[in-house]
Amino acid sequence: MEEPPRKDDVEYWRWQEYRRVFSEKKWHNKDVITAGIDVGSVGSKAAIMIDGEVYAWGVMRTGSNSPDSAKKVLNWAMEGTGLRLEDIKYIVGTGYGRVNVPMANKAITEIACHAKGANYIWGPSVRTVLDVGGQDIKAIRCDETGRVVSFLMNDKCAAGTGRGMEVFADLLKIPIEKIGEVSLNVEEEPPPVSCTCVAFAKTEAMSLLRKGWSKEKVLAAYTHAMAIRMSNLVKRVGLEREFVITGGQSKNIGIVSRIEKILGVKCLPMPNWRENGLDPMVAGAIGAALFAKALYEKEQKG
Amino acid sequence: MKNPSEEKKYMLDISQKEIEELRTTIRATSKKMTAEYIERMRKADKNRPEAMRYFDEIADFEKREKELLAAKESGKKVIGYMCLFAPIELILAADAIPVRVNSGWYDASKLGDRVVPVEVCPMVRSTIGAKMIGLSPYLELSDALISGLTCDGMTKLSEILSDYKPVWAMAVPRLKDSTQSLSFWREEMKTLMKQIEALTGNKITRSKLKSAIELTQRATKAFRRLQEIRKGNPVIMGRDAMLVNQAYMWDDIKRWTEKTEALCEALEERARQKSWACSPDTPRVMVTGTPMIWPDNWKVPSIIEEANPQGLLVADELCSSERLLYDPVGVDEWTMDDMLNAIAERYLMASTCPCFTSEDGNKDRVNWILNKVKEWKVNGVIYYVVRGCMLYAMEYMRVKKVLDRMSVPVYYLDTEYTREDVGPLKTRVEAFLEMLTARVDI
Repeated sequence: MEEPPRKDDVEYWRWQEYRRVFSEKKWHNKDVITAGIDVGSVGSKAAIMIDGEVYAWGVMRTGSNSPDSAKKVLNWAMEGTGLRLEDIKYIVGTGYGRVNVPMANKAITEIACHAKGANYIWGPSVRTVLDVGGQDIKAIRCDETGRVVSFLMNDKCAAGTGRGMEVFADLLKIPIEKIGEVSLNVEEEPPPVSCTCVAFAKTEAMSLLRKGWSKEKVLAAYTHAMAIRMSNLVKRVGLEREFVITGGQSKNIGIVSRIEKILGVKCLPMPNWRENGLDPMVAGAIGAALFAKALYEKEQKG
Repeated sequence: MKNPSEEKKYMLDISQKEIEELRTTIRATSKKMTAEYIERMRKADKNRPEAMRYFDEIADFEKREKELLAAKESGKKVIGYMCLFAPIELILAADAIPVRVNSGWYDASKLGDRVVPVEVCPMVRSTIGAKMIGLSPYLELSDALISGLTCDGMTKLSEILSDYKPVWAMAVPRLKDSTQSLSFWREEMKTLMKQIEALTGNKITRSKLKSAIELTQRATKAFRRLQEIRKGNPVIMGRDAMLVNQAYMWDDIKRWTEKTEALCEALEERARQKSWACSPDTPRVMVTGTPMIWPDNWKVPSIIEEANPQGLLVADELCSSERLLYDPVGVDEWTMDDMLNAIAERYLMASTCPCFTSEDGNKDRVNWILNKVKEWKVNGVIYYVVRGCMLYAMEYMRVKKVLDRMSVPVYYLDTEYTREDVGPLKTRVEAFLEMLTARVDI
């Protein structure tokens, strides 16, 4: 795993951008090389596949401009592989910025892509996917092929999303990657905060800190409230096993363990993405690359 | 008649300067939006029939505004209505002109916030806002308003608007299936009839009522012909059909009927030539829920028909569109009594408004939705609700359960009177349409 140097340690919300190449895999021109680019509101992800198998990916923060972010993240995923844009036969754009991916042949929603990607990462037993993105959360039901059967999305409010978590990390001065562990570092689970509104997060946190609560406890109360919101969405769409979480928050053990507790179900095990496993944050891009392969083959058949 | 200097019960005083500024800005936005939506509808179908042009023109409120002004100068009265419970035939029989006055302007809802809280239905807030600045020509030109007391929003709206105009409230019985309901409703109608006669100074005679009923029966026939055409392969985009349906709410009914017949003629010819408005494989969508009022409420229909993958609106169950005219007034004997009974029955019993309650769970609406799904070969239903629209929101689970049983996908799309949520709405609609097409197999 390659990581760029951390620019500014004071920005607690800033998560690590990184890329990965399965260098033991080799590509040839005759291979069907496809890519999926998922431009989310907070993170941009690109995945490259060789004949329907993941070869490389990159994860970056989304800039102010979607086409730029898409270009950057794809270039980053391709870096050092020898691949050029013209080697990629078909590209599918997804995520909030999907219509602004200039090199994409087609756009597909992140809802369809996350279901498809989860099916690829965890296999055909997946029936319910909770995707916690930067600015929205989606509960998706799918069949054994990863096809969406029904879904729900939260309302326009950013409460209970990745962005909300970032705001909290910054407020409490806890690095975002540590936020899950820290939230579990309490003797007893505090009651959830009454208001998960991102705009009021500061007021809410400050009043609890003034009451003498520890940072851990405040964070636990906030994470607890977010986990309830997310679990409710899953309950409303109807939980059917197996259940998995994708998106950035799948890496937040504080969120995942609380959701498991509330729903009374274990998620399928998280792949070891820091070493050889696939990253659930890239599920949407992987799904998009899979759709790209199918669409390319359909096009070839005429 | 109210004395205008009387103290207002609800409405706030705004300076004339502010009123004029706001009206100018919002009217300009509205004109732009109208033109833009029409342009997008034209683009959506490259062989769009020439007969649609009339409806494009009437969609701009100014044309009809001029006609109404002229009619009023010649002594005619304009009677506005806010719900489909207003018996149009009685208005027509008194030589008055019916127009629906509900507001679809997003910007006006923000003004309504000054009078009622944001939790209130945005259509109600927008209608209040429109009145505050004299935005709607139909509301302004109305000499009186008929208000069906259906939902809570409508009930209070009628009270608020009575600060400006005579409002004739009609209490709608919330139970259909009892004899006292119908007899009560008939009495409401008779009271209304007297009010209309008093305002217009015209007696509603047997022969005038008969011609009025015959006029709306012909309109119903044209209307049904159009919806019938939509059962087949697409020869008209859903937004176009919806505009035609909706124009009935403010157009001259006789002319509307002729223009709709002419359109149907063109569409039937188009079907014979197999010149489709979009691919016949396009997923067929129906919308039901909160009324969608021109022009701003074209947001969701536009998202559906401009989505990737594209959807086609083949039917709706909206009181701003297909609920308007589907049911004719059925008269046995052309006596005054029989005609009034027939009108009362048509407006009460045929209504599928969620304001009714019954042990069977508003089966009338549910059955009508199921019928539409079958007959119009609907692939998926979008259940559209604006925040604050309590009755439609609450009836969702009822409708969903029935559709689930038939394996017809339904999606709850909640929104507001705002243009800011188009991005997330698009994602939701497109994911739903992807689900319906499921054309990519891996």
